[in-house]
Amino acid sequence: MTPDDQRFLLVGAGLFVLGAIGFLTRRNLILMVLSAELMLHGVSLTLVTFGQMHQTNEGQAFTIFTLTVAACEAGLALSLVLALYRQSHSLDISMWSELREPDAVSPNSDGPDGVSAEVAPGYDHLPTLTPAGLVPKDPVRSSATAGKTASARS
Amino acid sequence: MTEWLRNYPTAVAGLVLWAIGLIWLMPGRSATAPRAQTLGLLITAAGLITFCFSCGKPQAELADEVMFWLFGVGALLCGVLMITARNPVYAALWFALATLSTCGLFLLQSAPFLAAATIIVYAGAVIVTFLFVIMLAQQSGAAGYDRRSKQALPAIVSAFVLLGAITFTLQSDTPTIDIPEPVAQSDRSTSESRDMAALPAELIAVVPAVAPVAPNALSKADSDHPVGNMKGLGRSLFGDYLFAVEIAGTLLLVASIGAIAIAPRREQGAL
Repeated sequence: MTPDDQRFLLVGAGLFVLGAIGFLTRRNLILMVLSAELMLHGVSLTLVTFGQMHQTNEGQAFTIFTLTVAACEAGLALSLVLALYRQSHSLDISMWSELREPDAVSPNSDGPDGVSAEVAPGYDHLPTLTPAGLVPKDPVRSSATAGKTASARS
Repeated sequence: MTEWLRNYPTAVAGLVLWAIGLIWLMPGRSATAPRAQTLGLLITAAGLITFCFSCGKPQAELADEVMFWLFGVGALLCGVLMITARNPVYAALWFALATLSTCGLFLLQSAPFLAAATIIVYAGAVIVTFLFVIMLAQQSGAAGYDRRSKQALPAIVSAFVLLGAITFTLQSDTPTIDIPEPVAQSDRSTSESRDMAALPAELIAVVPAVAPVAPNALSKADSDHPVGNMKGLGRSLFGDYLFAVEIAGTLLLVASIGAIAIAPRREQGAL
């Protein structure tokens, strides 16, 4: 690995990490989509550099597939943004923290910045998840009842 | 690890400076005055330039050197400005510049077709993003959620730990890649005929005269098809990866159907 290739790999890693930071910290839906695209740029640059190091065209062929997947992702993400905006009339991702399970800690309450979601009035009908993880039944009894119902059915 | 810290102090210093500048620049901190913003930006730029300097002295020509510094530092700086922009319109603009810089890096890595394709694809993507931002985010001025970031400090610290680990791996471990020399056609035929001579005459008619080929032989670069050549790339795509190309086309079809299905209908009312 020559230093020339190495610094291209470093720039690719830097782009990926910047996109990850943007995806994790920003609260705007459109900016999150753009950050994911930035991560894909970093990966593409790394793939092209690998192809150059190995003297094959495979890296560039792979990058073309990455480009295809990025186009699909952008289309789906933007239509999702439209659908979510219709429901909440805001691009704030924290409006959708209601989708978490009820016993989970709210992502808005523990932030060091005291970030809180701005829930618009009149939009409390948004969908919520039912609590996951029912209490498991006693396996012996449940198998016994299952056997009973099976025998009754036969 | 400590050896790496001793050997590459510039990489570590660059990473630390870069992270500090990024924490400074993130929305939601106290740095809202323009002067403080400029200072944070200077710290970030110094950090990432130091980071890019940390990998030895490349033996490149002056033109390549200038282009790398222009595009590489430009891409990273535009990325920083994108994820710290308060206004989503500016973020989309910085993203467009980061894309252009990445395409310049593609050109430096002898991928001219990819550079052109990326510009074409992302020109449409950036314009559509612009439309969305203007349509959805600009109706009531700057929104509160753009002026604050969530959990900036843990995210930046963990991301830079990841970047430090990648840098450590890249700089401490230098694998040697032996590129197989392209075998000239005459060589192969002579060696084949020598092998054939050892066989009995009746077997020669049965054994197909095909040299053992490596998988994905069409993707290998040779003197006729150097890396990034359109002809070689086309051979690789439609030779070795023909099935994957079909799958990618199907994926595009499915994604467009899904986007139409997810997007709100006209009868569901305006936005």
